[in-house]
Amino acid sequence: MPTPMLQRVFPVALILALVGFVVAPFLIASAPYESTMGLVQKIFYYHAPSGMMMFLGAFVSGTASAIYLMKGRPGADRLAAGAAELTVLFGLIVLTTGPLWARKAWGVWWQWDARLTSSLLVWLMFTSYLLVRKYGGPGSDKLAAAVALFGMANVPFVYISVNVWRTLHPKTTVIPSLVPGMRGPFWFATATFLCLFLALLAVRVRLGERQAELDDLYRAIDDDALEGE
Amino acid sequence: MTVTRMLRWGLLAAFLCVPAVTAAQTAAPAQAPASTSQPAAAQDGFVPVSQLPPTEELAPGPLVLGAYGFIWVAVLVYVWSLARRLNAVQKDFDALSKRQR
Repeated sequence: MPTPMLQRVFPVALILALVGFVVAPFLIASAPYESTMGLVQKIFYYHAPSGMMMFLGAFVSGTASAIYLMKGRPGADRLAAGAAELTVLFGLIVLTTGPLWARKAWGVWWQWDARLTSSLLVWLMFTSYLLVRKYGGPGSDKLAAAVALFGMANVPFVYISVNVWRTLHPKTTVIPSLVPGMRGPFWFATATFLCLFLALLAVRVRLGERQAELDDLYRAIDDDALEGE
Repeated sequence: MTVTRMLRWGLLAAFLCVPAVTAAQTAAPAQAPASTSQPAAAQDGFVPVSQLPPTEELAPGPLVLGAYGFIWVAVLVYVWSLARRLNAVQKDFDALSKRQR
């Protein structure tokens, strides 16, 4: 998504996200209880959309990184960095809310199965992307872009892992087979999370632009000082 | 020299601990048959959730509240971090414009 479009989307996304987060708890509370898990299944309404936003962030970051590597557009790099931060944020939410649900539903906080382990790996890859950018020194943006590409390549494996390997985690067929009473709140929560994602991404990209403007200004001042000498 | 000696002592201690831990693990099941009143399912290592004593049942409320609370905290911390970074950039802009005057 080009940056000006993202900036135009920001106010709408922010308002929709705020309204969504006010309404969503009422919808979730009125949704029917799942027969075997009961109340703890309510975590699902924020856990699964967070996972979707983590995947979306990884996809946006990876795609923008590929564009940056091929065409060298600074705007693509800023978008990739912003989306990587959101991948880490939503990944952290998924990896925290999941164990809280699992403790009640499975009896364990964590299981080293395919879905959980591969999700953790994607999260670690995007965390390393941010670390490389922060501490990697000059040229680290291109190295980080390659890390984001590998991170994005892992996402399809995370998605299909529950269908290919035997895991404790429910399969991808769970969402299409939701009962109507659960489907509405779930998709409402997903739309709310998408609005939050877009609003945060717009602000993060704007921050990147301001930092780039500041760097240009410092560079211009240094050049003027050198010419004066 | 001292480090090598410490490593050597550490390895020896670890080596000596292995049989002790193994013995402790094998000794534990040996004591189990003493309680003959255990139901059959417990002897197999599994107890149906419905038969758990109330003290072992996990209340779902704190887990749900914890999950929703964590989401809010994580998002708010991120928003705060964005605001802090934006303010820092703005301060740098202001400082530069003052310097240029």
